[in-house]
Amino acid sequence: MTTFSTQTQRLLVAGEPQPRNRRGRRAAFITGAAAYLVTFLIILPLLWVVLLSFQPSSDILSDPFAFAHFTIDNYTHALATLPLLKMYGNTILIAVVSVVIGTLISFMASFALTRMIFRHRKVQSSLRFYLLAGLAVPVYILLFPVYRLDLSMGIFGTYAALIAPYIAVTIPFNTLLMTGFLREFPAEIEEAAIIDGVGLFTLCWSVVLPLMRPVIATILIFNIVYVFNEFPFASILINNPDMATISLAVSRFQGQFTVDYGGMMASATLVLLPQLVIYALFQRHVIAGMTAGAVKG
Amino acid sequence: MIWISTRWKLLLMLAPALVAFTMFVVYPVVYSGVFSFTRFQGFGDPKWIGLGNYAELFADPFFWQALQNTVVILVVSLAILIPTAFALALLLRRKIAGSGALRALIFGPAIIAPILVGLIWVFILDPKIGLLNRFLVTLGLPAVPWIGGDVLSPVSVSVVFIWSSVGFAMTIFYAGLQQLPSDVIEAASIDGSSSWQTLRYVTIPMMKETFAIVTILMITNIFKIFELVYMLTGGGPVHRSETLVSYMYFVTFTNQQYGYGMALAVVITVLGAVVSAGYLALSRRKEQAA
Repeated sequence: MTTFSTQTQRLLVAGEPQPRNRRGRRAAFITGAAAYLVTFLIILPLLWVVLLSFQPSSDILSDPFAFAHFTIDNYTHALATLPLLKMYGNTILIAVVSVVIGTLISFMASFALTRMIFRHRKVQSSLRFYLLAGLAVPVYILLFPVYRLDLSMGIFGTYAALIAPYIAVTIPFNTLLMTGFLREFPAEIEEAAIIDGVGLFTLCWSVVLPLMRPVIATILIFNIVYVFNEFPFASILINNPDMATISLAVSRFQGQFTVDYGGMMASATLVLLPQLVIYALFQRHVIAGMTAGAVKG
Repeated sequence: MIWISTRWKLLLMLAPALVAFTMFVVYPVVYSGVFSFTRFQGFGDPKWIGLGNYAELFADPFFWQALQNTVVILVVSLAILIPTAFALALLLRRKIAGSGALRALIFGPAIIAPILVGLIWVFILDPKIGLLNRFLVTLGLPAVPWIGGDVLSPVSVSVVFIWSSVGFAMTIFYAGLQQLPSDVIEAASIDGSSSWQTLRYVTIPMMKETFAIVTILMITNIFKIFELVYMLTGGGPVHRSETLVSYMYFVTFTNQQYGYGMALAVVITVLGAVVSAGYLALSRRKEQAA
């Protein structure tokens, strides 16, 4: 971290964005080099894992800097050991079902809480506040009670055991974003639709939802990243290895591979790469979605 | 709107979210609160012991150790993360070839599952096989017990947390910088303010709200750190590297002291809220003083 802090100091002293002369050009070169160096340091741990995954485990133990032998044995071993498709299948199934349902029911509630008419206004605003209060609840306080709840509802041991809490914990955040958007939504559009005589369902589905695309995209991205990476709930609510999500499977690598570091790194790479590829394809949306969500939250 | 807002339509729209939220968020919070006053080992009936768990907590050296570690992680992470992320945002705002790609790469770690982040850093920090010690030994320096030793683990956890969050924080700062009115900054530099002065007296004060957002976000996330500890040290040796949440997880699910675990969870929740609220109050007061 020392490189970071020295750079911090240098940066804080440096200033003007436009290089005009030779000194300016040199400064521009230095800032450019600094930016590339920091980026390299940040991706170094990932590069290291990928690099080592192509070396035999014995080399990793004796001299990891040698890079004497190139091998793909680690991958054949990892692919033979890991039910990779199953892990991805489980995670995608849980993510899709929980995010779709979570977004849909949050939308319904948000629409009712902002655009529909309550006999008592107070009820409307306090219900909104009730859902938003969930933002202050940390997930770890829910772990044990949800486990008991799943058991008593008889859904423990099914995907629903995990899907239900995932839906519930995303509601406050979704509601925050959607009520925020819907409050500023122009009334003319829905009035026009209502004059045309459409019902509640058509109004929501074909008029309001299409206009909410940007918010919905943010919410989908934010929630999918959350569910994909979630570990504490998964570790407690799933006890059948066949139903393991990616995070849960990764948490067992150390026990599973013990000293087969090559196999472990190949497995880590196999989990990491697809995510990074998807991220690379959609990075602009992912970054916008995750930070927009955070800033508003 | 009134004709589509019949009572049953309202109910239909609201019920699913309200029911799911009440069952899986509100009820569990109440349940945790109630169970924190009981002794419960998973079989038989929970026994009401009043404040017994809380009393036990204050006498539990592992709790104090976990609290201390969490505070260390909080202080080290914030002290390094906030200035670094802000400096990076300033840096990447300048004309640099491919700065968009660099921003995407720096943000990258934020989308990797915390559990995988932990595993990746085992290969860096592990005293025997980790990159860092291999590097030190190659240079003829002594190996350092980054993880698994007595003292350094919380610092190492901070480093990993910083790694996974710096791009995220940087991106929020970057967005904040983009929204600054450029004429104010130009005016300052025309008035003969040096770039350091502009930064110190114009840019940073105008970014106050962004600093508050990032700090609160990071405090919240630091109080949630669990997977990193789980993967890097498992809380060991003998709970020396435990954070509050990882210790709560151990007490509840490994030791199955459910009542005691819930008391811990309640205390952590309150602590997290107090620290965030305290920070907000402090930054507000500073603003008024300035």
